[in-house]
Amino acid sequence: MALALESRTPFQKLYRLEAGTPWERLRRTAAEFFEAVGVPGTKNEEWRFTSLREFAEHEFTPAEPRDWDGRYGSADPIEVRDAIRLVVVDGVYRPDASSSDLPDGLIVGPWSETKDDPAWRRFGTIVQMDRHPFAALNTACFVEPILVRVAAGATMERPIHLAFVSQRSDAPRAIFPRVLVVVGENAEAKLLETHSGSGAYFTAPVSEVFVDESGRLEHTKVQQDSLDAFHIGHVRATQEAGSVYSSNGVSFGARLSRNDIDIWLGGEHTETWLNGAYMAFGEQLTDSHTRLDHAMPNCHSFQVYKGILGGAGAGVFNGKIYVHPDAQKTDAKQTNKALLLSPQATVNTKPQLEIFADDVKCTHGATVGQLEAESLFYLRSRGIGLAEAQAILTYAFLAEVLEKISLEAVRTALERVVFRQVARVEPMPEE
Amino acid sequence: MLKISNLHASVEDKKILKGIDLRVNAGEVHAIMGPNGSGKSTLAQVLAGRDAYEVTEGTVEYLGRDLLEMDPEERAREGVFLAFQYPVEIPGVSNAYFLRSAVNAVRKHRGEPELDAIQFSKYIREKMKLLDLDPSQLNRSVNEGFSGGEKKRNEIFHMAVMEPKLCVLDETDSGLDIDALKIVADGVNALRGPDRAILVVTHYQRLLNYIVPDFVHVLVDGRIVKSGDRTLALELEEKGYGWLEAEAAAKA
Repeated sequence: MALALESRTPFQKLYRLEAGTPWERLRRTAAEFFEAVGVPGTKNEEWRFTSLREFAEHEFTPAEPRDWDGRYGSADPIEVRDAIRLVVVDGVYRPDASSSDLPDGLIVGPWSETKDDPAWRRFGTIVQMDRHPFAALNTACFVEPILVRVAAGATMERPIHLAFVSQRSDAPRAIFPRVLVVVGENAEAKLLETHSGSGAYFTAPVSEVFVDESGRLEHTKVQQDSLDAFHIGHVRATQEAGSVYSSNGVSFGARLSRNDIDIWLGGEHTETWLNGAYMAFGEQLTDSHTRLDHAMPNCHSFQVYKGILGGAGAGVFNGKIYVHPDAQKTDAKQTNKALLLSPQATVNTKPQLEIFADDVKCTHGATVGQLEAESLFYLRSRGIGLAEAQAILTYAFLAEVLEKISLEAVRTALERVVFRQVARVEPMPEE
Repeated sequence: MLKISNLHASVEDKKILKGIDLRVNAGEVHAIMGPNGSGKSTLAQVLAGRDAYEVTEGTVEYLGRDLLEMDPEERAREGVFLAFQYPVEIPGVSNAYFLRSAVNAVRKHRGEPELDAIQFSKYIREKMKLLDLDPSQLNRSVNEGFSGGEKKRNEIFHMAVMEPKLCVLDETDSGLDIDALKIVADGVNALRGPDRAILVVTHYQRLLNYIVPDFVHVLVDGRIVKSGDRTLALELEEKGYGWLEAEAAAKA
């Protein structure tokens, strides 16, 4: 069947609109959404500081199954001890590298192995394609989605690690990781997503998250893609009453990265933590857009984002908080701090609070600064060299965010990146 | 050990030190006293290498080397230690991590092997007893949420750990109650020795009851106007700084 829409974008050849799959209609709608908007330009307010002009000049080819050398392609591969691991290489699920011993109450796997699970009914219903063109593109192009479902009442002791790896190739590839996460009533889990690879490629991951009543999820996403890669990712979570969702957004790879995290607070008495650490050095650009919808009363949200920009690195932060008319007794706190380590580094930061209820507590604060001369002198006066002193203070700047991330392997990877980027040395080992 | 000759220093074109001459030998304890704004703290910071101060004239020789040519970290590695008047809070960096980085920087400089976490822990626990410190303090962020007294005690603890040759104590007694003062003084006294020199910068002679100096110098308006033994400090306590300030003004 011929494509009914007239394609304007160079991504048409990546669409998977073949008939007979469960997503045929969804994909067609998605392709239409994407074609209608195309690759956004900087006149689009949501993309004002992040130009995709250079990105749009690239031709990307679809990823296809290849042999895997077992490497993550990152200088700091994150290995979480005891994790339940699921590996996706070049967009294709690798059962050979994934855990098969799943605890009771956990369903993890690609669609082909989990298609009878009732949780799939939520697939495609959480993400908002009209608002996120690249989420629409992902929907039109993904190879096979992954399900992570934690059954009601189950507590996962072991973290769940989804590793998305892109291998080097002659022609830059496009990959579209797609995840559906459903945490049942009173269930609890820790989920880690890592995105890494080597060479030039484009990845546009989408995660849809549903946390049911009184469920608890710590969701850590680490973007450590190749410095030649483009990463445009989207997470959308929906929280039901009494649930707790902690989002840890860590971004330090890719030449250009964009992370949109949207959270819909759809029940009362929810708690939301939005912790972010982003870094850009050299010519990197990293853009974090977050959106919190306080749609119901008595919900609390706490957001702390910290950015470190060195070299000619550029950072963008946009934090939206919408307090809907029904959302009385909302308590929302937002902080964004950026540290500039060089005169060429830049950051554009914008808190955006829109409040339509009258009995609420909302605060926000944004600061941009440099390392304090007094602190540097203090460290140096104890014999610590300038570069190492800068690295220590830079890492310390992240402390407020790091202490919220329970996975030690993630903190260690961040520490190594800071020391390497700032001081060109490896950090002192802990033990 | 330390030979300061005709030292002049300014901050933002304001002259603060106007010709300091001072000689300190190993094993000696010198007290630098003076009224507020006399340049005591500036002298301490210049010795440690704070670049906010510009040395415009004069020389400082330390163990035969030109101290002013050295970066702050090199001075520290060569054995110069400044206990800060206002120790800096560093949230997110534990005392243990900070001190191990510092000690290892010095050891590396001396060509000695670096200490791993276990070796360091053993080394540091002995030093903690000296300052009567709770081991839990090692895991706390450097000076974060410490009271004034805890910060000062932590400075002397760092000093004990670093084992410097030249210790400069900048107003270490300010903000201390009598019990904390005694603990700090005991810590300093334990570090006295024939190979080490100590420079105590203080406004009040109170601390000198516990850390008894061999020499006392009075700094007024950027110059040493009077030197003597510890009885000079007692005289200052009785008479204040006014008479020396008047004398200095008359000479100028």
